[in-house]
Amino acid sequence: MKELLRIRELHASIAGKEILKGVNLSINEGEVHAIMGPNGAGKSTLSAVITGHPAYEVTSGEVLLNGENLLAMPPEQRARAGVFLSFQYPVEIPGVSMTNFMRTAVNERRKYQGLPELSASEFLKLMREKRKMLQLADKLQGRSVNEGFSGGEKKKNEIFQMAMLEPCFSILDETDSGLDIDALRIVSEGVNRLKNEHNAFLVITHYQRLLDYIVPDFVHVLADGQIVKTGDKTLALELEEKGYAEFE
Amino acid sequence: MRSLSKGEVVEQILLNEANLDLHFVQSDDSVLRLFVLNLSPADKTTVEIYVDQQGRGCRTEVYSLNLLRDEQRCSMHTHITHSANDGQSLQLIKFVLNDKAKGEFYGELKIQPDVRHIDAQQTNRNLLLTDEAEMRTRPQLEIYADDVKAGHGASTGQLDDQALFYMQQRGIGRDEARRMLIAAFCKDMVMPLSDEAKRTELMETIDRIV
Ligand SMILES: Nc1ncnc2c1ncn2[C@@H]1O[C@H](COP(=O)(O)OP(=O)(O)O)[C@@H](O)[C@H]1O
Ligand SMILES: [Mg+2]
Repeated sequence: MKELLRIRELHASIAGKEILKGVNLSINEGEVHAIMGPNGAGKSTLSAVITGHPAYEVTSGEVLLNGENLLAMPPEQRARAGVFLSFQYPVEIPGVSMTNFMRTAVNERRKYQGLPELSASEFLKLMREKRKMLQLADKLQGRSVNEGFSGGEKKKNEIFQMAMLEPCFSILDETDSGLDIDALRIVSEGVNRLKNEHNAFLVITHYQRLLDYIVPDFVHVLADGQIVKTGDKTLALELEEKGYAEFE
Repeated sequence: MRSLSKGEVVEQILLNEANLDLHFVQSDDSVLRLFVLNLSPADKTTVEIYVDQQGRGCRTEVYSLNLLRDEQRCSMHTHITHSANDGQSLQLIKFVLNDKAKGEFYGELKIQPDVRHIDAQQTNRNLLLTDEAEMRTRPQLEIYADDVKAGHGASTGQLDDQALFYMQQRGIGRDEARRMLIAAFCKDMVMPLSDEAKRTELMETIDRIV
């Protein structure tokens, strides 16, 4: 199997405070990895660093995507190369229509892949298809990006964007938090449909519940800025039972 | 001075005028809707707008969008007086300041004694695109009556960093993301135009400039 993402001895800090203290992780194509861990362990920091959030400083280590140095690329370049983050807290952007936003994003990704831009009608057709696949309401598309969306709608909208962009590496940062069972099913069915032998997922979650739907190949525990334990899906069950006390 | 007769509706667009000194007097039930748009302004722009609602049941709307760059200066002064009952006034003033541009808004809102049932709103929102750009806002509310609703709000800020990162994370380049956010900030300034063709044209102009 081909290695897709490689993180080596990654150290990162925010506002002078070290949060990631030597993270090592290798993810192959076709794999689903779950990261669990106590609040404040650095899970969101890891996704922010992989995607290039400017508030975080990488002090040492490397992150490679298909052997390429991700850390040298601006955030938009990482996204075009196929890195996607389903945000723990999706951002509302008043005045920017969902359609305009998505069309710009999709065409940037296509340009990077050497594909021609989609015409307006091709694009709308693609939107319809993906919405249908994810059983999403049409009304959301006429609105500004995430503006006035409920918590569940925002998370479903993240998965919709993922479906539109067809990334090769997706991070889901607590996409399941605050979702009712129906929304959870829609989100996880979406992921399962998008999953194939060439892409990979990193699923950050607090709950075993999501992993009943999206079955991980590996489960990692992140505590105090390091991966302290790795196992298979049974580790998630164990953590659910015992909590994180032994890692805190 | 321009007088609006009873029930008259006037909608006026003033585009890139370097020196404006406008005086309006409104009679009963008239509607004045002004769009003062400085999209490609001169180096120095000064605007003075005087409106006196002398008749009852008048409505005044002032929309002003000022896109400034380099060392451009623009000062916008509005003087709205409610001299009769049941009047409404709505002001929405926006500045987008790039480079070393400087903007000033002075908004005088006066409600005369014994005038009743007034609804007056003044809003000034500004976007600073650099650390060197400057904006000064001075609301001046003179309210001598009781049974009225008068509000003003002013905010000056920068582009939303979280929104920028979110857009970049979807593959949208930083410059394009900035442009989209600035256009979004400007958009509601031409939405109230009743002439749809004109509205589309101005929106396209704004899109091209930002
Ligand atoms: N802007 C910030 N300034 C200082 N510390 C921060 C900032 N953002 C997050 N942190 C700290 O970084 C740590 C890790 O946070 P985070 O990565 O969000 O954890 P997790 O997602 O695992 O709950 C926490 O201790 C948090 O307080
Ligand atoms: Mg988190």
